[in-house]
Amino acid sequence: MEKIDHPDQKKSDNAANYWLSGITAGFLALGIFFVVNSKVNVVARLEIPQVDKKFLDNSPWRQTYADLVKSKEDLSDYDCYSCHDKVKPPLIRYDKNQKIIIPKEHANIEMSHGTHERNNLCYNCHNEQNLNTLQARDGNVVKFDNIPQLCGSCHGPAFRDWEAGAHGRTSGYWDRQLGDINRLSCANCHNPHAPRIPTRESAPGPHTYREATNYENTKSVH
Amino acid sequence: MSRRSFLRGCAAFGGVSALAASLAPLRELGDYTNTDQFLQKYYKELTSSDMTKVIARIESEVERQYGIRPHVRDLKPMDGVEFVYALNLTRCIGCRKCVHACVKENNQSRSPEIQYIRVLKMPHGSMDVEKGNHNYDSKQVPEKGFFYMPIQCQQCKNPPCVKVCPVNATWQEKDGITVIDYDWCIGCRYCEAACPYWARRFNFTKPQIPKDRINPDMSYLGNRPRKQGVMEKCHFCIQRTRVGKYPACLEACPVGARKFGNILDPNSEVSYILREKRVFIQLKEEMGTSPRFFYYFDK
Repeated sequence: MEKIDHPDQKKSDNAANYWLSGITAGFLALGIFFVVNSKVNVVARLEIPQVDKKFLDNSPWRQTYADLVKSKEDLSDYDCYSCHDKVKPPLIRYDKNQKIIIPKEHANIEMSHGTHERNNLCYNCHNEQNLNTLQARDGNVVKFDNIPQLCGSCHGPAFRDWEAGAHGRTSGYWDRQLGDINRLSCANCHNPHAPRIPTRESAPGPHTYREATNYENTKSVH
Repeated sequence: MSRRSFLRGCAAFGGVSALAASLAPLRELGDYTNTDQFLQKYYKELTSSDMTKVIARIESEVERQYGIRPHVRDLKPMDGVEFVYALNLTRCIGCRKCVHACVKENNQSRSPEIQYIRVLKMPHGSMDVEKGNHNYDSKQVPEKGFFYMPIQCQQCKNPPCVKVCPVNATWQEKDGITVIDYDWCIGCRYCEAACPYWARRFNFTKPQIPKDRINPDMSYLGNRPRKQGVMEKCHFCIQRTRVGKYPACLEACPVGARKFGNILDPNSEVSYILREKRVFIQLKEEMGTSPRFFYYFDK
């Protein structure tokens, strides 16, 4: 029997071949694309700047006299009688508004203690009889390295809380059997001449919001 | 070779190479999972010898990925201890130092950045957290007319996150800390949705921590580096508090607004505060979660 190629049959064979080669080429292209893409075109993650080391610093804001003694610093500044007269306590002068006039030798002192800065008599805390010591409200003489006793003579509730551990900074061990608690003193945080804690810069918040605002250059709503 | 077999061969080759290429991302899986980890048992079923092996695996993995040999421990809760946190809203100045001390202590991802503590800036005269803004970017804090309320995991006595976990990967320990087994978590994020305090965080990508900022003192349920696809949250610094130390956020607070201790000890600071101070009960008290995190006032 004679084999006759049907014209339609031949046509469909050709079409299938075209499809097949098309798909093959497509697959090959995809394969190359995937391989290249996984190597080259890695989506870069947004670089988030590391938080400034100054925000990770846990050291106390201020150093007290006791700290200076402990770290064997130069304490000559605390010898008042290197300048002042031993017999004659220094006079304190005020201007017309009853504001204290700070002498230029003590220009680094900022006086702002109490409501309306009314606690502005040096001898409320410093001992008039012996300038190298302090004097509490009850007349007890207090050494420079024992500040809580002095502050506590006026600030009773804060002193009570501090003794109980509810006021002030602590570090170390909550479990006293396993280790010691380190409790900071009043002057480690408060400047005795201006005890209100000054404002300061805040550390960066959640980065997602910062990114979003940077992208669209919009200001924060709040 | 006939035309047909050539085309077939090409098609087969192309198909196989496309499949291989599409599976290529699996090679990166080795960075954060391996057979030992995949077959590892649930935390509560691990014997002490299992745990020794697991800890050795974690230590070598951390060393391979971050180049630092850590000291990983499995710390158990102490007897007769229930932790409570108290935060003084009168004192908090919103400086966010606690946020970054926490990130540093607990090896959170720096890129993308994960923070456990949110500090809400709230207008005076309201305790409605909906009025708070945690994105404030102030040059000088505190600002006039606002107070600041840091929120982190409240370590609830009745934690909704634990109830919804389908695989028990998070649970409450007897010292009150709700912990997560990072190797058991499947990353479904149900707990994140259940938490009314927005305390839980999800690792959407592989966490990245610079080598010089790794804290090598780690614990299994605490601050060991997490992997992609697991939840994490504040755990009261297990690696510190279970050996008697204060949490990192407390030590960083420059105004001493944060207080922590054992509520079962009547002489502890937190006992004193809850007894003597004006305590603003608990955040979202109406949820019935009974947090172990208290906010209080001085005046």
